[in-house]
Amino acid sequence: MLKNYLISAIRSITKNPFYAFLNILGLTIGLAAFIFIYIYVTDEISYDKHNTKHSQIYRLESDFTIGSKHDRFAIVPIPMGPALKLEFPEIENVVRFRGVDNALFIYNDDEYYEDNFYYVDSTIFDVFTTELVIGETKNGLTEPNTIVLTEKIAAKYFGKENAIGKVVKTGNGRQFKVTAVVKNLPENSHLKFDALMSASTLAKEVGEEEFNSMEPERFWNIGVYTYIMLNPNSSITSIHEKFPDFYDKYMKSVGDSFNASFNLLTTPLADVHLNSTLASDLPTGNKSYVYIFTIVAVFILLLAAINYMNMATAQSSTRSREVGMRKVMGAEKYQLIGQFLSESVILAIIATILAFFTVYLLLPDFNNLTGKSLSWQTISQPVFISTIFMVGILIGLFSGSYPSFYLSSFMPLNVLKGVTASSGKPKLLLRRGLVIIQFFIAIVMIIGTFVVSDQLDYLKNSDLGFDKENLVVMELQDSAFRSKVEVFKEALLQSPHVEVVSNSTGVPGDVSWIQVMLVEQESEMKEFAVILVQSDFEYPSLLGLDFITGRDFDEKMGTDDTAAVIINETAAKQFGWLDNPIGKKIQYGMNLDRTGGRGLKVIGMVEDFHFNSLHNKVEPIIIFISPVPRYYVTARVTDGNMKSGLEHIEKCWAEGGAERPFNYTMITDLQEDMYESEEKISSIFLIISALTVFIALLGLFGLSSFTAEQRTREIGIRKVNGASLYDILILLFKEFFWLILIAFVIAVPVAYWRLSIWLETSFTYYTEIHWFSILLAGALAMIVGLLTISYHVIKVASSDPVEAIKYE
Amino acid sequence: MIETKELTRIFRTEEIETTALKEVNLKIKSGEFVAIMGPSGCGKSTLLNILGLLDSPTSGEFIFNEKSIGNFNEKNRAKLRKRNVGFVFQSFNLIDQLTVFENVELPLVYLKMSKSERKALVEEALEYMQISNRSKHYPNQLSGGQQQRVAVARAVVSKPKLILADEPTGNLDSAHGVEVMNMLTELNKNGTTIIMVTHSKRDAGFSNRIVHLFDGQIISENIVSQ
Repeated sequence: MLKNYLISAIRSITKNPFYAFLNILGLTIGLAAFIFIYIYVTDEISYDKHNTKHSQIYRLESDFTIGSKHDRFAIVPIPMGPALKLEFPEIENVVRFRGVDNALFIYNDDEYYEDNFYYVDSTIFDVFTTELVIGETKNGLTEPNTIVLTEKIAAKYFGKENAIGKVVKTGNGRQFKVTAVVKNLPENSHLKFDALMSASTLAKEVGEEEFNSMEPERFWNIGVYTYIMLNPNSSITSIHEKFPDFYDKYMKSVGDSFNASFNLLTTPLADVHLNSTLASDLPTGNKSYVYIFTIVAVFILLLAAINYMNMATAQSSTRSREVGMRKVMGAEKYQLIGQFLSESVILAIIATILAFFTVYLLLPDFNNLTGKSLSWQTISQPVFISTIFMVGILIGLFSGSYPSFYLSSFMPLNVLKGVTASSGKPKLLLRRGLVIIQFFIAIVMIIGTFVVSDQLDYLKNSDLGFDKENLVVMELQDSAFRSKVEVFKEALLQSPHVEVVSNSTGVPGDVSWIQVMLVEQESEMKEFAVILVQSDFEYPSLLGLDFITGRDFDEKMGTDDTAAVIINETAAKQFGWLDNPIGKKIQYGMNLDRTGGRGLKVIGMVEDFHFNSLHNKVEPIIIFISPVPRYYVTARVTDGNMKSGLEHIEKCWAEGGAERPFNYTMITDLQEDMYESEEKISSIFLIISALTVFIALLGLFGLSSFTAEQRTREIGIRKVNGASLYDILILLFKEFFWLILIAFVIAVPVAYWRLSIWLETSFTYYTEIHWFSILLAGALAMIVGLLTISYHVIKVASSDPVEAIKYE
Repeated sequence: MIETKELTRIFRTEEIETTALKEVNLKIKSGEFVAIMGPSGCGKSTLLNILGLLDSPTSGEFIFNEKSIGNFNEKNRAKLRKRNVGFVFQSFNLIDQLTVFENVELPLVYLKMSKSERKALVEEALEYMQISNRSKHYPNQLSGGQQQRVAVARAVVSKPKLILADEPTGNLDSAHGVEVMNMLTELNKNGTTIIMVTHSKRDAGFSNRIVHLFDGQIISENIVSQ
């Protein structure tokens, strides 16, 4: 029986190669998109689960409240972890990570600048799961000046030599002996270290006592990534319940002195990647994209299945005679169902194989697009392959279900007499409903693509409140070079192509210094946590900030270098100074008893400018003169002279005695980087919506052929009764016009609703959803839709009416 | 009204050439009721299609209303057709999705008449065919005889000068058949030219003249004495 099914299935497929091709194409695209989204989502939700004890591990996070300002960070004060372990028996282990930033490491004469090297507690290997390659991790990081490398770093520094016992030096003179090499971390680890250095190295330098101090002051400085591992039977809620007592014991005395409080947050290790939205975090994923893509994957499969249904029923009148004959010959309904189902399943299996092939070919592009590095190995796991085949077969059964019940229910006598299985209203409605669903999905995707791209445009082209063009940023990592920054600035300005140069602690795109300071209020000075930039006199003019009131820094004024501060409008608002900010006082860098520090007076208020990305609200910021050279040097090159300007800057860099090679970033690049994830999403959206539209069009093509076939006779009668070609074209197009219009009407509110949520939750500043984009999406769907059906419509409309009415 | 000279229609498929009509000469005056008879495959329907402007001859001349239209294209034929010709088929050829009223209205819609005009004409035609009480029904809710009355109503609604009937009683029992034939005769008495293809001697008896067709050629013509 099965063999019989297979044979007739294969014959029927080869007899209608065009429909088979359309079906397989649709299913292949649908399944390939599904596989890609599936591996993307699986990867996103698998983060850190390779750690065997991940369910016991939590990351500690900070929630500081200072005055009215809340700040949440992915890092906690340095002594937090050990102090918690001391107080709470539930905690089995603690490990802290402190990263380095572009630090110099030297082996023999080779120099490397590293970002992902961390100082860690020796407990790391008890908490996180690593795979040892060579050496010993058990006590690998207990001694000071020891280092454990990952395989790729070992290969980079030592090639094929045995790394164990080798010594690497740092730019600031520390030495580290390699005690072990471990396997590279899986890509789906949120904290991707390349090498681990013993924290005891730092302890040795500053002294054990100082290093391990749990004085209250030490709890009010932001510090390190900290992970705790609970005992298997303990729960994290008991830590949270008992934390207020801990706070009173360790932190309250200092917190009260400046009107601050602290709450401890924790996130399960495996949730960090998708749930974190905290400041100072490592790069994380985005949960809403995981949701969106999961829904999209289901949608795409649904689209492909609907296509099959439409096209299979479209062939019904050619199949009906076969069904009638088989029934006359004694076939029972279930046998016919079996036969039609085996056809759809065979097509689905062919499509699954082709989908795997497609995924194999496009995997590099997929990795490129998503920034992942998934390998064919993960995909070619037997479990994965069989899962996907199961999905493929299910899709085959699902797609085949409706056509097989429909086709197998033809009455043999009617069929043989030539009476077309008059479809009747309900079935027609169902088929139209399917097309509406397809176009609904396609139109939602098109609107989504337009809005995402509008938002990206908005992000990139908004007025940021400063002039972002032609700004070249350099980082002064060597302290020796940094100390000569005035000489370097002077040299830069020698070129006519360099307009302004400024030295500062932050540049737009990288301003993160927050400190508590005393701010003048009606009766007294009050604590506020404020973002600050320390710079030279040129900073406001470098950025081209607009003064609302007051003046810029001026070297001629004797006290500007020590006592002047410029604030933005939001700061003035928050401090309640909007009417007259000039002359108001801020005390910066004071001691805990509120004495000492620098007394600053406001000399100017500038319009708000976006020193962070448009994801965030503009916050209060203050700018004042730094007494010492700072990390960033930014030069504004005159318009159109970037090439010669950069040549000059590079020359000055080399002649100024910088140790590091010349390296620079454009502010515009920093801005672009902030929106990298939106950029990615925008391209992904574009591709996915192109696919959904394409699949929907395949379906429409199928349905139009079905309709044309169904209505040939009716059209013949109409023509006999005087309808012109034009009348018939209008009649047929009108039907599809309505379907697409209905889909559009349903799609608009859904798309509007979902995209508004996305914009509101992801951005503080966002574009409105333009009606033009929505109408354009509808028009686009309508045009391609009507073009798609025009083939069959024109064919049937221009057919010979005599032929059409000859048979009933 | 109608004249054909040496009218020939040849059907070609890739392998076979079939001559359906061979040098047919026929003259039909306005107000005549002509029956075309002959065995299956003799070319009756082909002739009717050409006379009804649904098809065009391969060669020969075809004069309709004193205009030679042998080489009219489909667009021009359609224009002429919708003003002058009504059709009645053996299989009724009603559109299942439309009501009786809408089916009858169809030719008027394509004549771009106003709604009120259409309503008046449709009601008149339905009245005439005694089927007004069914105007909101769908074709599959009617008996065969009722369906054919609707089809005749549709054929006459635009008041064409010529009605072509292709085996109008073929799907009806004899009582309903006679009913339809009476209606056609009545129309003819009121001045409408009727050309009818039929197998039935009884039906042919309602006409003024019977044309016998065999293998695509006219073999005899008889005047029917009434």
